[in-house]
Amino acid sequence: MSGNLRRGTRLRGETLRFRFDGRDYTGQVGDTAASALLANGVRAMGRSVKYRRLRGVLAAGPEEPNALFTVGTDPCVIPNVYAPQLELTDGLVARSQNRWPSLRYDVASLLQAGGGFFGAGFYYKTFIWPSWHAWEAPIRALAGLGTAPRDANLAPVPHEHSSCDVLVAGGGAAGLAAALAAARGGARVVLVEREPVCGGELEFESGAIDGQAPLEWVRATLAELDRLGARILTATTLVAGNGGEYVAHFEPGGLPGCSTMYKIRPKQIVLALGAVERPIAFVNNDLPGVMLIGAAERFLARYGVRIGKTLVLFANHDRAYAAATRLVAAGMRVRAVVDTRPADAVGAAAASRRAALVAGGTECLAEHAVLAARGGREVRGATIAPLATPSATRNFGCDALLVSGGWGPSVHAGTQEGGTKRYDASLGAFVATEQPAGRANAGGANGILELGAVLADGTAAGRNAARVAGRGSDASAAPTGAGDPAPRLVPFWRSPADRAGEKRQFIDYQNDTTVADLRATLEEGFIDVEHVKRYTALGFGTDQGRIGGLLGAAILAELRGEPLAEVGTSRLRPPYHSVAMRSIAGLRVDENLRITRRTPLYDWHLAHGGVLEPMDLWMRPRYYTQNGPAAYEAGIVEARRVREVGGIVDGSTLGKIEVAGPDAAAFLDTLYLTKASTIKVGRSKYMVNLREDGMVLDDGIVLRLAEDRFLATTSSGHGAHMLSHFEHYRDTEWSGRGVTVTDVTEAWAVIVVAGPTSRTALNAVLGASWAESIDALTHMAFARGLHGGQDLAVLRASFSGELAFELHCRPAIAVGLWESLVAAGLQPYGLEALDILRVEKGYLVSSELNGQTTPADLGMDVMIKLGNPCIGRDLLDRPAFREATRPRLIGVRAVDGRGRFYGGAQLTAADAPNRPCGYVTSSVYSPALGEWVGLALVSRLHAEGAVLTARDPLRIGDCAVRLTSIVHYDASGGRMKS
Amino acid sequence: MNRLTCPFCGPRELREFEFHKTLPEPGSSPYARVYERVARLDESTEHWQHVLGCRAWLRVRRNPSTDAVLETTLLGGGAT
Amino acid sequence: MTGAIPRYSALALLRARLSGGGFWSPLWTGRKLKDAYDVVVVGAGGHGLATAYHLARDHGLKVAVLERRLVGYGNVGRNTTIVRSNYLLPENHYFYEDSLRRWETLSKDLNYNVMYSPRGVLDLALSDGDMQDMARRGNAMRLAGIDAELLDLPALERFCPELEPRRQRRFPIFGGMVQRRGGTVRHDAVAWGYARAATAHGVDIIEDCDVQGLRTAAGVATGVETSRGYVKADRVLFATAGHTGMIGTMLGMPLPIETHLLQAMVTEPIKPMVNTVIIYVYPGHGEVYVLQSDKGGLVMGGFLDGFPSYTREGQWSRLENVVEGTVAVLPRAAGVKIVRQWAGTNDMTMDGSPIIDRLRHDNVFLNAGWCYGGFKTIPASGAACATLVATGTAPDLIKPFKLSRFQTGHLLDERGGGPFPVRL
Repeated sequence: MSGNLRRGTRLRGETLRFRFDGRDYTGQVGDTAASALLANGVRAMGRSVKYRRLRGVLAAGPEEPNALFTVGTDPCVIPNVYAPQLELTDGLVARSQNRWPSLRYDVASLLQAGGGFFGAGFYYKTFIWPSWHAWEAPIRALAGLGTAPRDANLAPVPHEHSSCDVLVAGGGAAGLAAALAAARGGARVVLVEREPVCGGELEFESGAIDGQAPLEWVRATLAELDRLGARILTATTLVAGNGGEYVAHFEPGGLPGCSTMYKIRPKQIVLALGAVERPIAFVNNDLPGVMLIGAAERFLARYGVRIGKTLVLFANHDRAYAAATRLVAAGMRVRAVVDTRPADAVGAAAASRRAALVAGGTECLAEHAVLAARGGREVRGATIAPLATPSATRNFGCDALLVSGGWGPSVHAGTQEGGTKRYDASLGAFVATEQPAGRANAGGANGILELGAVLADGTAAGRNAARVAGRGSDASAAPTGAGDPAPRLVPFWRSPADRAGEKRQFIDYQNDTTVADLRATLEEGFIDVEHVKRYTALGFGTDQGRIGGLLGAAILAELRGEPLAEVGTSRLRPPYHSVAMRSIAGLRVDENLRITRRTPLYDWHLAHGGVLEPMDLWMRPRYYTQNGPAAYEAGIVEARRVREVGGIVDGSTLGKIEVAGPDAAAFLDTLYLTKASTIKVGRSKYMVNLREDGMVLDDGIVLRLAEDRFLATTSSGHGAHMLSHFEHYRDTEWSGRGVTVTDVTEAWAVIVVAGPTSRTALNAVLGASWAESIDALTHMAFARGLHGGQDLAVLRASFSGELAFELHCRPAIAVGLWESLVAAGLQPYGLEALDILRVEKGYLVSSELNGQTTPADLGMDVMIKLGNPCIGRDLLDRPAFREATRPRLIGVRAVDGRGRFYGGAQLTAADAPNRPCGYVTSSVYSPALGEWVGLALVSRLHAEGAVLTARDPLRIGDCAVRLTSIVHYDASGGRMKS
Repeated sequence: MNRLTCPFCGPRELREFEFHKTLPEPGSSPYARVYERVARLDESTEHWQHVLGCRAWLRVRRNPSTDAVLETTLLGGGAT
Repeated sequence: MTGAIPRYSALALLRARLSGGGFWSPLWTGRKLKDAYDVVVVGAGGHGLATAYHLARDHGLKVAVLERRLVGYGNVGRNTTIVRSNYLLPENHYFYEDSLRRWETLSKDLNYNVMYSPRGVLDLALSDGDMQDMARRGNAMRLAGIDAELLDLPALERFCPELEPRRQRRFPIFGGMVQRRGGTVRHDAVAWGYARAATAHGVDIIEDCDVQGLRTAAGVATGVETSRGYVKADRVLFATAGHTGMIGTMLGMPLPIETHLLQAMVTEPIKPMVNTVIIYVYPGHGEVYVLQSDKGGLVMGGFLDGFPSYTREGQWSRLENVVEGTVAVLPRAAGVKIVRQWAGTNDMTMDGSPIIDRLRHDNVFLNAGWCYGGFKTIPASGAACATLVATGTAPDLIKPFKLSRFQTGHLLDERGGGPFPVRL
């Protein structure tokens, strides 16, 4: 095809250079990779998944099953790009896939010799010995298409949210007519079109609209839509519907994952997605050079590509004659038009074209079929025979074999979310019927394929959509036109073939599903179309059955001897169109996967050696690098310093909920195991919440700020949950009562000041005005006042066992206060040290609040005995919770005082070395005691003093441990009360 | 189902809301209130919260076979 | 194997090839519904089929499996194919381990390749606390004789380099735990393999047969009313997964079960990229599990859609969540395209563990509440549930899965989430 004078509607003339499979080619601006390669005479562009058969381009859109390329150079490649959509750019590098060592010579293609052997169900019957896994690696290596890039491209893809009156999907005749009618009616219209230009079949269809050539009308219509303020989004594909919102993806250049995702919420949507042309099954219908008629017409009209010198067309409808006429006019020789229908089935318009074709030397055969494509690596001819006497074959030489078995209306988008479809015998296809409110189909999806009717249908859909959307009704004249004749199709699915031939009658090209596979599948009792789909992989390719789904169902129906209408097609799954994961993830990539909650001291920590670790959505310092090379060493240094001198820790991540109103105290009484109403103003209490089923949900300190006002703190990881929990009870059981619940988590920063020098340091920092009230604070009492003109509360409470204070201050003064405390001689400590201090004292750390423990398990007997009828109390009486083997929180230490044991070690008794009787919930090396100490949940059968084995085969093996009091350090609490 | 209508905020994206639980038969025992669920194909009465919005708790009646929302009412009467 | 079904082997395939057709016979179709059975199993999913197989093979009972729609059309063909026994609670890990051991030999036992692929199941830890939780679980498993290994970053890099474990992330990877014997099984093959084997043992599998009611007399079930007429049965087993709540309603006993959608999705096929099953759970409703099918597609799933539904149509926003997580954990997958998404209806119990028990009537049984674990337990559940139905006594392995445990407090709350299938 060299010497082709290429004139196509999309070509812009300038020459581009590109590289395919290591060879250099040229193309033009406006070309796609597929069109440019075809223009260069390249036919073979890929290999199938299962048999590795050599394949060429079949279709001209994203339904293309064969020509999928890997684009770019390692390590930044994009796999599985549809060649007919891949726009040529200068220097583009692409390669074919699924072949080794080259596309032409592929070792694994030898597999196709075993065609029947490897048919449907093959894998289920073999590779049982010695085991599937032994065979899996080489089989996996054969599967798959392209290769994922070695370097990830995580550039964020923006998601644009918008709304409109009418969204039109599809910019062909129906879509443009619908958009025009809606816009003329005053509707705000958005139109999305998958191709870089609008027009659809008008790109090649003959005829006229409103007296203009079809493409002239397209231009005029787009201009009018622009004047009316409609938004036209080309190269944008409808991807999914989501309860009235639609997701569309802008993929300029046909490269996935590179640009915007639109999320559009229209009042009405018109789906004008046309119909997808389908092939007919004949022997070797997958040879390079076999192409859909519509695809050949598109390649010609858009890109000036002549698909061959001598063609044979094979079809079951009148459109084939219009196509043949145009192909001849473009300088190709049409050797034959093979029509499966009787001669009298051809309509008048087509009949006159047929006569002209015959006059020009084309043989037009009625009631004939192409039985087989001939040729080795590409089409060299076609075997043709009368349907009545298939043995009477004739061979026609040709270098391209164009086929069309009709069209499958694009009902995919419509049948999701509740739309229905029905079988239309005149098309041999399923067309859309009822759609839920807010949605309509137009044109091809309704089975309407004649230009005049398509325009009318689109106009009606657009008008109606504008009206339902509350806009006016367009009174101007609807576009009228006439194009190619009605198809007058008679369904025809497969040409006659013997059993051997059926193994090469392809239905699903990518997965190599053949007529023989369907027959074998039926033999094994897979009858339902859903079972057949799963057993043969029919419809599981990247085209998701657009090419072979309907064809496969029809042949299945034939083999079953039942009508296609009853057999149906398998359910089409979302998305409507494949979409790169990067585009779906949008902006939620890398650091933006989730929001980051930062305390007011976040920057300070980072600037001062803090190693931050996620805690829910917060980031908190685990330790500071100046204190040691890793968490373990630094934690010990920091914890020791707190006990010896003192330290400060950022507690701002604690959840804080303010509960106020005349019923606040009574409200909190139901939410906590013990009563809040007994707390005196100015004092606080350590309290726990139970879940509805009686398990401990959370713990924290509740402060009574005033008679009718409390501040409840929650653990850092549970803040959001606890707030919802409070609000739920406020709005249900406590609805109408005098209680308000307000989240004040970020209204207060919390600085914990702990250690023997904490009071001195605090007095130095807060000054004389605070000294008296701080000195007067007893354990769990707090004082409120101002510091630097801002609210400050100082609570004397300790989770370290040292004299300690919690400063609740406004975020604005947090950094200043913190720095003054540092200046006063207190060093910061992190979570690692915090845990050491807590475990030494037997205070719960988060691993004991695991949703599996009752308050009794955690040793909260005193609280339970108070008998407060709180949430969750009813279900605490269940028998399992009173059993002797129920776990109980207890201390644990190495028997010899030197051994190590870690949180997560399982505890076993001597009589049952493999049946745990408990586990270590947390353990730390205690710098104060010079040994490992821990907390454990252990069956009550084992009391303090018992010796067990801490078993940790995953990390450090066994360690003999003794159960102890949970308080390992300063049991009298003297340090805290000093 | 992509939206719920919050009585305060109007129609909002579903991802702003969190489902809590389906409600038991009225007058159930404490055990049943916590553990048992009424299962019907045509209707489900549930508690949801507009957690990324006004934080109101809602009672939502839906058809779980179609995900159609039949009714959304405010719990707590909006008194707070 | 008995019956007229030809044995599968490479040799048989060759003979079939030479025979030129007519060699194979239907796996299960073509059976006629009889008037009476020893056991009627309602639901031809994985659990119903496996139980029927064992009832016939091990106990010699006459069994029918009645299916409203198609064999294997529910969750057995919709899950993400993961099998593992890396559970914390002994009641769970002994049960799941029994299943995993059966997976190891199931292809041979059924003479049907279910493609058990022990490629490892890897849980990722984000913090020292996560590692400690995993150690607790893994240590418990090891003491029970189940394999588990803790991986620090260098070990993780060796085991699964495509994770890029040291990469900067919003939620950095701290380490992980792997169960190497965990992996995947071809889901549809399990339904078909059990259906074929059950049929060979005389089980009648009847599709398109809707069970509409239970007929009882004197406190005992006598049979089921179906869309194909009344069928007498000495015993009835319900194994109806997402529709179990409806069975409770039919029997007038609300169950501790809520039905939720769980989505899965798959990408276009790509050459082998990930050789294990990766599970990445992070704050802010983040959860993803991702693996690569033998055909090359990345298969992904995540957390429940978040509210009860029978639509089997997943929410796009949840798909977004799963995809975000996949891109976060496997950045190289960012440019790979999603081609298909689907959903199943999961019967979620109030503690996350299943219910295999007798129901109200002496001869009516329930196999349900599978939550996230239905697929992986099919072989163990089938064998044990068959013993329960045949003998009236639950084997030790499934004794903990009593319905009464919610009342007695013997909860099996693996995740500690309490009576809320949707964690807030």
